[in-house]
Amino acid sequence: MAYRVLIVDDSPAMRTFVRRVIDLSGFELSECFEASNGQEALEILNHEWVDAILTDINMPGMDGQEFLRRLSQDELLRSIPAIVISTDATSHRMASMASLGARGYVTKPFLPEALRAELERTLGVPCD
Amino acid sequence: MIDTVIRQALRDSVNEVLEKMFFVQTLGEFSDLEVAGHPPEAEMAARLDFQGEPAGSLRLRLTSVAAKQIAADFLGIDAADVSDLQVSEVIRELANMTCGSVLSRVESSTAFNLSAPQIVPPSEEDTGSLWNTRYAVELSNGRLTVNITTESPTCSQPAESAY
Repeated sequence: MAYRVLIVDDSPAMRTFVRRVIDLSGFELSECFEASNGQEALEILNHEWVDAILTDINMPGMDGQEFLRRLSQDELLRSIPAIVISTDATSHRMASMASLGARGYVTKPFLPEALRAELERTLGVPCD
Repeated sequence: MIDTVIRQALRDSVNEVLEKMFFVQTLGEFSDLEVAGHPPEAEMAARLDFQGEPAGSLRLRLTSVAAKQIAADFLGIDAADVSDLQVSEVIRELANMTCGSVLSRVESSTAFNLSAPQIVPPSEEDTGSLWNTRYAVELSNGRLTVNITTESPTCSQPAESAY
């Protein structure tokens, strides 16, 4: 099965990198959407369904924390697993994002396999 | 003064970030004397500030040829096709990841906040802080130098290195 993924990051370079890493990892991607902040992501989610969301925290406009808060308040969107990708590996930040509804957390730097593993874990993809 | 905790974290972070995110292996470390005596080359630099315990700033300088190649490796395209804007974006991201990685190692239980990285003149120097830690490495096509200045020394031990 191939999945639809939304990447939310204010850095175009980082969005390109994440998409590339997903491809390199062998994760099956059918479609990939990109947004530069939480607001843009919500607009995309108004008319596109995705299987998983990968989001940064620090973004201008609506940041990752507010984005997760909005997702959790939406009856439909709260079911989409959101994974945070951040440089912040502190336990404080991880707990904070989990409390807002994040179902996964990947700290930069990461290997392609780590991102794939987190995507598969949150999506409930059975191991090979 | 050099903060040995920061220095260890900086060394581990630079190597891990370059290897995992940029697929780059460093060729060796430069001493401060070697950095000072190196002939001038075109460089670019990025800087960001951080709030936390301790607060401070990170400044990263990279020779221009190496910056372009690193951007190409990160984006998965040929160096000849990388625009100046893309190089700037990638170097800001490199600074951001390096800083986050260092701070996560030295203060794993304390929240910290990073400012958005900015491209700055390579000649800009951080002054006024007692605690200034530098790590410089040779890459296959240039040199990367990272400086961290903090308002005070760190108190914790760095997290165990993966290397």
